[in-house]
Amino acid sequence: MNSKERVMAVIHHQKPDRMPCFGANSTVTYDQMEKVQAFWPEGHEKGETMAKQALAAYTVVGFDAVRVPFCQTFEAEALGCTLKSGGTEGITGIQHPPTPYKLDDIPVFPADFLSRGRIPELLKAVRILKKELGDEAAIVAGIIGPFTIAGSILDTVPLLKATFKAPHKIRPFLDLGEKAGTALAKALIDAGADIICCEDMTASPELIAPKTYGEYELEYQKKQFDAISIPKILHICGNVDAIVEWMGQTGADILSLEPKANAKLAREKCGPDIILLGGVDTATTLYMKDAETVRKGCEESIADGIQILAPGCAIAPGTPLENLLAMVEVAKSHQG
Amino acid sequence: MKVLSDFSNIFKRYDLDLEVTGKAREVSKDPIFQEIAKFVVDGDDEGIVKPMEKALKSKSPMDVINNALIAGMNEVSRMWDEGIYFLPQVILSADAMQVGISLAEKAMGKAMDRKGKVVTHTAEGDIHDIGQIIANALLNANGWEVINLGADCPVSTVVSACKEHKPCMVTGTALMTTTMTAFPKIAHELKAAGLEIPFICGGGAVCEEYVTSYDLGVWGKEDSQAPGMAADAMAGESWEAMRAKWNG
Repeated sequence: MNSKERVMAVIHHQKPDRMPCFGANSTVTYDQMEKVQAFWPEGHEKGETMAKQALAAYTVVGFDAVRVPFCQTFEAEALGCTLKSGGTEGITGIQHPPTPYKLDDIPVFPADFLSRGRIPELLKAVRILKKELGDEAAIVAGIIGPFTIAGSILDTVPLLKATFKAPHKIRPFLDLGEKAGTALAKALIDAGADIICCEDMTASPELIAPKTYGEYELEYQKKQFDAISIPKILHICGNVDAIVEWMGQTGADILSLEPKANAKLAREKCGPDIILLGGVDTATTLYMKDAETVRKGCEESIADGIQILAPGCAIAPGTPLENLLAMVEVAKSHQG
Repeated sequence: MKVLSDFSNIFKRYDLDLEVTGKAREVSKDPIFQEIAKFVVDGDDEGIVKPMEKALKSKSPMDVINNALIAGMNEVSRMWDEGIYFLPQVILSADAMQVGISLAEKAMGKAMDRKGKVVTHTAEGDIHDIGQIIANALLNANGWEVINLGADCPVSTVVSACKEHKPCMVTGTALMTTTMTAFPKIAHELKAAGLEIPFICGGGAVCEEYVTSYDLGVWGKEDSQAPGMAADAMAGESWEAMRAKWNG
């Protein structure tokens, strides 16, 4: 089987030749940048450089999929947010103030959304990756979840306060966030994406009360996933045990879990069909520890029910290459 | 934050249901203080005004601050630590407490006496400043002057602020793996400037091993530790001693 075949086998509940391994969030590291001579900030801005950096996950690391983009700002920028460059070492961020909207505003989804900001370059990167890879490795394209987009355009603290003080006011922004992510997803599919990964960091119980996910975000996430025709990964950072049952109801094919979350509980709450992806903590184990500790962490996660081995979240760019290679070794040793 | 293992109450509106469920404990036997504390616990920054004005007619402003406002915030902090309260509620409570403090200070005709200065920030490139909201609120409530540099704060800004304000302690929060690398840079520059103050680092992206790998670094596991750490720093404890005490 080639890389894409083994990823799709797992997604379609068929037997892979061995466990797949790839990053559902940003995979770019300084080691890989050196190897392929493609650097930041250009990798966040230009389609060709973005594709080069993403491709390294397959050609240098041996992951079974490649992933673009590497930050969480594409939809937010197109909706009016001001960006801040991460320079050569970091990822693009959002600057507040100003915010494009305040809580009492009526947000408008721009008709020319897909032409705005760097979205055209992101779509170009996916097209380049499709041309390079064909059907050899899977192409994961990232969108941002409705709640997180709402946080980007309102600023997170006003949004968090509103979830308790005036929750009805957040709906137009969740709606806008959903529209934006869905429109981007469809364009990414047209450009050649095989899998959509939705990152919804602000929806984590570490930021909002669990009930807010169930009562507000779930509906918009479901609507979004219903409209996306290819397999979907849902990634929410942190310990998501309190909301994992709802995550399972969104229509996601794959849940991307950090090791902080309980994979066994996820299986219990979400049933036998959902795919669990994850494996090793990115801020501590993968970034700071040695390859042997990485291997151990991976084996523990697999024993807990992880089916696709992956970093738990975005890979810290300073992560040593050998730790990523160690993950792939573990995946290779788990024959189908 | 403790992980919930019993999910049967996750649909409950704790902010409306406090007396019935008993989740928020009584903070003061004095009904005037208790009423104000409840507005802090409920995160009601508008409703708190009337009881504050009433209380200030019969109680000293510092008594109201200590026995109602700070006491209420400590109760919120307990509920946050135990996984009963979530971040939005803590933010709303911190706001209500601040409204109360402002009214009390107005009545005193001066700002609260401050024990010392603490500079706080969120790492450069980090999108949110929520990581330090609890620490800032608790430091403020416990009498520290918080120089809050906010989110996405460049290394140079933190170092300049420390040079200018000479705080007893500086804190940093990083939520993203891409931003925590600013901390050792800050530590290095502070040391080079002769400012060997404890640099308390916390947040989702950092761990004890990372923070203790550079001089000045003390790992801040829980936001609620901030006032205790500030007290130690003010008393002249070195960063090495604080690391030994708080990080084991």
